[in-house]
Amino acid sequence: MLEISHLTRRFGDLTAVDDVSFTVPPGQMIGFVGGNGAGKTTTMRMVMGLLAPNTGEVRWQGAPITAAVRRHTGYMPEERGLYPKQRIIDQLVYLARLRGAEAVAARAEALDLLDRFGLAARAKDHLEKLSLGNQQRVQIAAAVMTQPDLLILDEPFSGLDPDAVHAMADLLRDHAARGVPVLFSSHQLDLIDRLCDGLAILAKGCLVAAGTADELRSRGRVRHRLAMDADVGWVRDLTGVRVDDVDGTTALIEFLETGAENSLLAEALRRGTVHELTRLRPSLGEIYQEVTA
Amino acid sequence: MTRNAWTIVAGREVMAKLTDKSFVISTIVSVLLIVGIMLFQMWFLGRATEFKVVVTDDRAAAAVAAAGASLAANPLTRDTIVAVEVADAEAARAALAADDVRAWLEPGPDGWTLTYFKDASSTLDAALPTAVRETVIAEQLAPTGQTLDALTRGAALTTELMQGDAARASIAMAVGFVFAILFLMSALGFGMQIATSVVEEKQNRIVEILASAIPTSQLLAGKVIGNTIMALGQMVLFVAVGLIGLSFTEYSTFVPALGESAGWYVAFFLAGFLALACVWAGTGAMASRQEDIGNTTMPLMMILMVAYFAAFMAEGVWRTALSYVPVVSSIIMPVRLFEGDAHWWDAALALGLNFAFAAFTIWLGARLYRSSLLQVNGMVSLRDALKGQR
Repeated sequence: MLEISHLTRRFGDLTAVDDVSFTVPPGQMIGFVGGNGAGKTTTMRMVMGLLAPNTGEVRWQGAPITAAVRRHTGYMPEERGLYPKQRIIDQLVYLARLRGAEAVAARAEALDLLDRFGLAARAKDHLEKLSLGNQQRVQIAAAVMTQPDLLILDEPFSGLDPDAVHAMADLLRDHAARGVPVLFSSHQLDLIDRLCDGLAILAKGCLVAAGTADELRSRGRVRHRLAMDADVGWVRDLTGVRVDDVDGTTALIEFLETGAENSLLAEALRRGTVHELTRLRPSLGEIYQEVTA
Repeated sequence: MTRNAWTIVAGREVMAKLTDKSFVISTIVSVLLIVGIMLFQMWFLGRATEFKVVVTDDRAAAAVAAAGASLAANPLTRDTIVAVEVADAEAARAALAADDVRAWLEPGPDGWTLTYFKDASSTLDAALPTAVRETVIAEQLAPTGQTLDALTRGAALTTELMQGDAARASIAMAVGFVFAILFLMSALGFGMQIATSVVEEKQNRIVEILASAIPTSQLLAGKVIGNTIMALGQMVLFVAVGLIGLSFTEYSTFVPALGESAGWYVAFFLAGFLALACVWAGTGAMASRQEDIGNTTMPLMMILMVAYFAAFMAEGVWRTALSYVPVVSSIIMPVRLFEGDAHWWDAALALGLNFAFAAFTIWLGARLYRSSLLQVNGMVSLRDALKGQR
């Protein structure tokens, strides 16, 4: 388990990361969300030991993280680019060897990964000959080489086409299934909703929410939609109900007291035919808007 | 395992160079250039031109013969001067116009005339005036019974050097020039490449992957050692080709002495290169974009330029003193050794100082490198880099 514990980092007067704490449990994929400049990359750089925190620490399996652990961590930095003028296979093997792999095993693993991304035929090409999307695939392959114990990926999905997103998601799931904690940042909330076991939301350097998607949803306001065959303007007169919006025959409402559901339904049945009374599931986007507002 | 990570990094640097077309091509071109210069020298020194001078009487023929004799006595040239006798001035003019002869020597009542067709020859201009004067003096001495030889006995002037000989001194100058230019080219070329490759890794963030996998000191060591191996290998190749080439020329007698000072030169090159390599890497790390490299590496360029010009311009005591100063000594000391001006213990002292200085700069360069490598926001100032906070 990766624990991020009270991390703070200042650059001059700017506090880029302010007392951030959350955990990435084994086998879970945690989405790291936040606007530009929210502090995601700075946090990840501190996890990787590339930047020293002013206060706080990063812990791995209960003890402060070591260089040896980081060596077995798959890391994908914010900006892309390996060696443009080197063969793809050579640099994958090189990076794996730096992490302690044997050259022969690393070559086999690299070819396997390239095959998975449909790039096996281009293993001997120079990286710069590939399209940007394919270069990104190679970057991902570099991060997951040598079966890392932990994955830290900064915007792994940005710039990928839908097929690659699919392949990438499968790959990450495979590693999570091995019990590897996976932390990745993304702006694509729908993707995080689909993939992640949990998320951590940063705004202006502070952690504003963390937990599973369901936990976050249950923290937000629960709203219902009422739809009838007649005008529903009458809901404004009920007690224990807050009305967000009325549009002819449908209304968006929030129940403020227990039992208000029943009195609303009884009144509705008296006034006409009820088509729908649904509990609305807030999207992650709505939760995000709410917590970062 | 991490302890040997530098070998993997060094291996990549070496392979990257060996598979880099521009490196391979520039090495081959340099070798061809060295061989070409040797061949040109051999041809230039080995060629002999026969200067034909047309004459119409015996006096002129005697003067040309005298000029030919004096040229034959000069060991530095194989050129010859011969006289071609024709009947009259008309025939002489025709021979000159037909390019059968180079010049026409004609005695006159108030002085002699040397006529060229279109362009003059420096060889004839140098040899003929003396020959003509001697011929005329000999003619005028004849009635008195005296000879020119008797009159000029004891007037010959021979040039000598107290130390070494003229040929050795002129070779020493050439060798000094070659050593200096090779050092400058290689140190500057490889140094710039080290700085550029560091900033490239920094710019595309691969350095973050590398630095999270292995300690930055290992990364730096691998990079510097890999490039040093390549620079040294290239230098040994150039020097060896030069020496082998030289052994085919008439300077082959100097090859053993040159070989010894070339050996010293290679050792000095290693020390001088190492002294700068880590600093190159450090200044590369201080830049965050390729465009900044010029600024951050400026001090190193200056040091190399100063060393280069000092090697030529310094004289006397200054030159002796500079031959012990690290980096500059890499160029001057091997030449002093060849000149016979310095002993092996002088060289050993200078080499020791050079390596000691290298140890200091490696420490300094490593500090600059470590503290600047992961700073991604703009150029790092020297003060911040030395403070070394991450």
